[in-house]
Amino acid sequence: MTPAPQFDPGLARDRTALAWTRSALSMLAIGTLIARAAIEAALDGVAVIAAIATLALALVTWRHGNALYRERAVDSGQPHHQPGALGFLMSVTLLIAVVALVVTLVL
Amino acid sequence: MAGQPTAGDPDGTDAPRSRGWLASPAERERRLEEIGTEPDPRFSWANERTFLAWNRTALALIAAGLAAAQFLHLSPHGLRLIVAVPLIVLGGVLALASYVHWEDSERAIRLQQPLHYSWMPRVLTGGIVIIALCGGILAIVDRIVH
Repeated sequence: MTPAPQFDPGLARDRTALAWTRSALSMLAIGTLIARAAIEAALDGVAVIAAIATLALALVTWRHGNALYRERAVDSGQPHHQPGALGFLMSVTLLIAVVALVVTLVL
Repeated sequence: MAGQPTAGDPDGTDAPRSRGWLASPAERERRLEEIGTEPDPRFSWANERTFLAWNRTALALIAAGLAAAQFLHLSPHGLRLIVAVPLIVLGGVLALASYVHWEDSERAIRLQQPLHYSWMPRVLTGGIVIIALCGGILAIVDRIVH
């Protein structure tokens, strides 16, 4: 049925999926630190928003890695397209840097 | 910056790139997929993992900056910003640069051109060395003065 894969992807896709999972975990860790800093700066509202936002973003990131992993069952060796996913992560990281900077300066 | 050394530009790929600075990442990445030929997916995955690793490095630097701001106790209190702010800024710069580098590498892979070296390792090393020196000196001076 399905054409023979042009390339043997091996475990490259799994490694990439796991890398996304690690990125999600890093995001959770940083969310904790931002929330803690915000509480210390008496910005409880910011802390709650930062905690919920990073949790949601980490969840999206984790789900992306998971989807990548599940693709494995569907095909093997097909091109792998996900326009915007890397740019999304980059934008989120920049946003985190800005929030971290602001919270640090207020602290 | 990155990507310029390819002098010939036979495929005219620099044109969509220079127009694309204001385009959303999704749009930029969709345009990237139209360049050259579809590569071995393993190469794209390896490139993606490299980006993710740099991104985590950036997040780790930001986390280190936040930790320095919260757990360093220097007097005057503002001194800890000498350590905290550069860490966070370095993280932000690397987050952006790693994306540009990923794009540059992906384009090179699709055009079967050589990959370019990045200035990121140098900046990361230099940044960490300078920040560590600052932190060390601050800690010693703080101990002597108080």
